[in-house]
Formats: sequence, C-alpha cells, structure tokens
Amino acid sequence: MPLLEIKSLQLEFGTGDKALRAVDGVNLTVEAGETLCLVGESGCGKSVTALSIARLVPTPPAHYPAGEILLNGRDVLKMDKRELRSIRGGVVSYIFQEPGASLNPVFRVGSQIKEALKLHRPEVATDAEVARLLKLVGIAAAESRMRDYPHQMSGGMQQRIMIAMAIATHPKLLVADEPTTALDVTIQAQILDLLLDLKQRLGMALLLITHNLGIVGNIADRVAVMYAGQVVETANAKELLRRPLHPYTKALMNAVPKTGARAERLQAIPGMVPTLGNFPSGCRFHPRCPKVQADCREKIPSLVEVEAGRGARCPYWQTP
Amino acid sequence: MSLLEVTDLKVHFPVKHGLFSTARESVKAVDGVSFKIEAGKTLGLVGESGCGKTTLSRAILRLVDATGGNIRLDGEDITTMTGRALRERRRKFQMIFQDPYSSLNPRMTAGDIIREPIEIHGLAKTKSALNDRVAALMKSVGLSAEQASRYPHEFSGGQRQRIAIARALAVEPGLIICDEPVSALDVSIQAQVINLLQDLQREHSVAYLFISHDLAVVEHLSDDILVMYLGKVVESGPAAEICREPKHPYTQALLSAVPEVNPADNRKRIVLQGDLPSPIHPPSGCPFHPRCPLVEARCNSEVPPLRSVGGARAAACHLI
Repeated sequence: MPLLEIKSLQLEFGTGDKALRAVDGVNLTVEAGETLCLVGESGCGKSVTALSIARLVPTPPAHYPAGEILLNGRDVLKMDKRELRSIRGGVVSYIFQEPGASLNPVFRVGSQIKEALKLHRPEVATDAEVARLLKLVGIAAAESRMRDYPHQMSGGMQQRIMIAMAIATHPKLLVADEPTTALDVTIQAQILDLLLDLKQRLGMALLLITHNLGIVGNIADRVAVMYAGQVVETANAKELLRRPLHPYTKALMNAVPKTGARAERLQAIPGMVPTLGNFPSGCRFHPRCPKVQADCREKIPSLVEVEAGRGARCPYWQTP
Repeated sequence: MSLLEVTDLKVHFPVKHGLFSTARESVKAVDGVSFKIEAGKTLGLVGESGCGKTTLSRAILRLVDATGGNIRLDGEDITTMTGRALRERRRKFQMIFQDPYSSLNPRMTAGDIIREPIEIHGLAKTKSALNDRVAALMKSVGLSAEQASRYPHEFSGGQRQRIAIARALAVEPGLIICDEPVSALDVSIQAQVINLLQDLQREHSVAYLFISHDLAVVEHLSDDILVMYLGKVVESGPAAEICREPKHPYTQALLSAVPEVNPADNRKRIVLQGDLPSPIHPPSGCPFHPRCPLVEARCNSEVPPLRSVGGARAAACHLI
C-alpha cells in the first residue's frame, strides 16, 4: 500500500454554475520514503492539491465533488475533525515558500517548535529536544539560537526553523511548497541538500512542489507535471529530463536558458497561462501547443500510460 | 566614449543605534565599483540579495546619492547634477522593476502610464502624434492599441511587464536598467519577455544593465558580466568566458548552485556554508573568506584587489 494515493481528485471553488474547478481529476501516488516533484506554473492547481492532503483548503468556499485522498489507506476527505488533527503534523507536515510569513513574529523560534512537540510528542517537549532538532537542521549554537525571534534570523535560517518544526513530529510525508523560491541560489542549494539528507536519515517521503524544472534533476525520484488543473505527464525524474513526452513539458524545458549553451533565442511558449475559470475546451494546452491537431480543440485527452511507468496526456505525443 | 562609465562608485548608508546618537558606523552597500557599458550592449549584474546590486542601480539613476566616485553618462558627469538639468538627463536612462504588480499605478490606464513620460519630456507636439506614439509603443511590445484603455489589474503579469517596458522605451532612452525583470513571472512567460528585450535592443540599439540572481538568464542576455559580493565586484569579464570558466571561487559556487534542466548534468555542486555576512560588519580581508572553500591564512587579513586575470577579465582573489 502506498503512503499517499490521490485518486481522480476534483476540487471546486464556489457552487452551482459559478463553480470553478481548480483541480480536475488528479491522480498521484507517493510511496514511503520516495520523493515526488509536482511541477507547474502559477494557477495550475499544484498548491491546492498539496494542501488538500491534510485538508488545509477551507471548505467552503472549496468543496470536493469527487475523488479520494488515501493516506495510509484512510480517506482524508472522510475524516472527522479529531482524526484530521492527528494526521496534521502527525503524518503530514508542511513547509512553505515564505518562511518569514509562516513563523509567528511574536514568539521565540524555540517555543514555536516546542508547540508542535507538545501536540504530537508531549513526552519530549523539552529544550533538549528542540536543541537536538535545531542541530539536525544545521543551526549552529542551537541553545542560544532557540531564544531568537524570527526577525533575528536570515531567510535561509528561518526556512531551517520551519523544517525543524515540520520534522519535530516525525511525519511520514513532508510537503514542501516552493521551499526555496524566496531564497538566494547559494542558500537554495543548502536547503535542498538539507531536505535530501533529512529525508534519507528520517525515512520520510517528500512531496516537493516547484515551478523550477532544474530542481527536479537534483532531488526527485519521480515527477508529475501539472497544467491547468490536470496532470499532463508523469515519469521517473531522470527519464523526464532526458526525454520529455508531453508537448508542454518539452516547451517548458526549452523555454529556460541553460548555462554553458548559449542560444541566440529562447523558444518561448506563445500565449498566456490560462487562469482559473478560463481553461480552454478540449486539451487545455491546445492554444499554446506547437503540434496542435484539429481534434485537440474538442476532444479531451486522458492521461494514459504510454510506456512502462510513464504517463502522458496527449494522443499525439509520438508526432514529431 | 562609453555610454555609461562608473568609476569607483561608493554608496554608504549611516547606521544609527538610537534616536539621538550620531552615526558612527555605515553600511557600505556599494564600495568602489567601476565599470563601463557601451551603447547597444548588455551588462549583466549578478549577486545574492544584499550584495548591493539594487543600490548600485539606484545610484546610477540618481535615486540615491553617491558617497564617492562618479557616474558619467554620454561623457557627462551626472553624479551631483540636480534640478532641471538632472530631469532632462533622466530621459536617457530608464528603469524596469521586478514586480509588475506594484510598479504600475493601479488608477491609471495602460495608455496613460505609457503617455505620461512622453508628456513630461514634451516629446510629442500634438495630441494625435501622442496617441500614435502610444499605439506604436504598445504594438512594439506585443500588446494591441485597443488595450490602452484597460487598467493594470486587467492584464496578466507578463503583459504588465510589457507595459512597463513600453513606458521605459517611451522616451527613447540610451540605457534601460532592468532590475530582476523576469523573476516574478512564470517560466513560460519569462522566455517571452527575454526575447522581447532582445528584439527591442536590436531595433532601438538601447543598452541594458540587466540585474538578476539567475545566472542562466544573465548569461543568455549579456555581453559582459559583473559579479558582486558585499558591495564589491569580485569578478568581471565577457559573459561566455565567465560562465565557461569562472575564476573566482564565489562565481564558481554561484554557477554550480544554479539548478540545471540538463539530465546529463554531472557537475560537482559546491554548496557554500553559512549566510551572506552583515554588510555593517563585513569580514576582514577578503569579504568572501568565511564562506570560501579555498580559504588561506592571508585571506582574512589582506583585501584582494580586483586585478586583470587575462584578456578582458578581472577577479578579486589572492589565489588566482
């Protein structure tokens, strides 16, 4: 049994005719100890999908017309409040993009970490355990640093505090939503290294959400690419980077400049990222797709396994 | 004669420790920076947050006053120019900011935003000439003239950045300072804006000072690159050469930290330890020595000068 299995999940905001479907039939699986990268541009539904795992999207305005989110075999969408409280932190922990905005500015970082311990591991809610966690995430002088307020730390340090808080409860799954986007490149490399190291040491699974395909190669086992509320391609990380199959993934990879290989011109993807409520008919990528066919405009393609372990939502993936 | 020539520019900000105390310390945000930009060329400025790249650009625009050194535009010293004289020179240098969501006035239409600088500098004789010019500018950045009556919130991020570019181009400047112009945009939109900037450079032979923390983007766009660390230039030279063979250990680390899409990527990643030091109390000797993997004894006492390391390249390191 996989640790996390999301089955044809749908998520809508609003009701009736005005309902906007942000997530439309997403299937994802995360095995214990595995790293899955969820890649996509803004508004593709990657964050709300990840937040749904611990039911962190407020309902209403959101609701789930269909689908299941099986965490250790139990459907999160059917859990009551008490059960949800025990899985939040207990099984799934989160870190977010802006560590400065996620920490409470009026409490010392040590007491914020201790708060998580009090809820899930009350027997070890001590300064010693907090110091051990801070050392684990690479903070020197942990005993004095735990008395700091968030504003006394740099962005990279704040993100380390967030990670310490997230792993304090021994979660089985760590969801990292763009954990390095707000950080400098050299600090980004540090944080990614730390996440990989902790994952191996603690045997956690990692669901990493990013818009940066470059991060994928360094950290992921498998990748799911999302576009306009749907998963358009899934593959092993190395395979995906070596040979992307879906036209969107290909276009995305060609659109980023590469160091050491100077091209005269970037191959930009024409048009705009469709916004929620304005998703095109048929294949949602068809207005921007370089190999669009007549029936792409009407027929909605489904995500099919095109090769062993690889899925693509495009019937023309073999067309050159 | 170069379009822009900056010589030994210093911008120091006094730091006060209490309401009534006099400033005894200062932040050396920019500390002795020299470079040139030729007409129609692009200089890329790379560095992490807090290295002084934005302060440098603001000093060139005369938005903050320089503490020392001088800035020559078209051979004319503008370092201490004020009032009307400065206002007239401002036509020659414009700026594009990072966040197109906050750099456009939400109460003005796209047309008004582009029209304003033309009116201020009296560049259109009649009302119809003015309107023609706004329409032509919008067209040249890939927007349609009908969109002139819309407000910024009706545009997507990429389109807003196009409006900002049109506003900068409106006064036919010789130099545009682009401060992280694509960082806030989606990956697929970044390529569009980068291509647009390149096309406009060819058409209008405008020079760019392109500031970014993304080395891949800077390499793609720039003729020359300047790498800054704690207010000082640590390496400079032609873009292709620096990216192929970085000399300074900081540039090497920075390049290796860029996440690459290339699946055959077997580069050894250099992960720097620690954070960027505080610019109020910069480290003694070489400012990079506390994080440098190659540090030697003399690095913490002697400041390495920026010296030529062959061809048009220069680096500030004892070990080269």
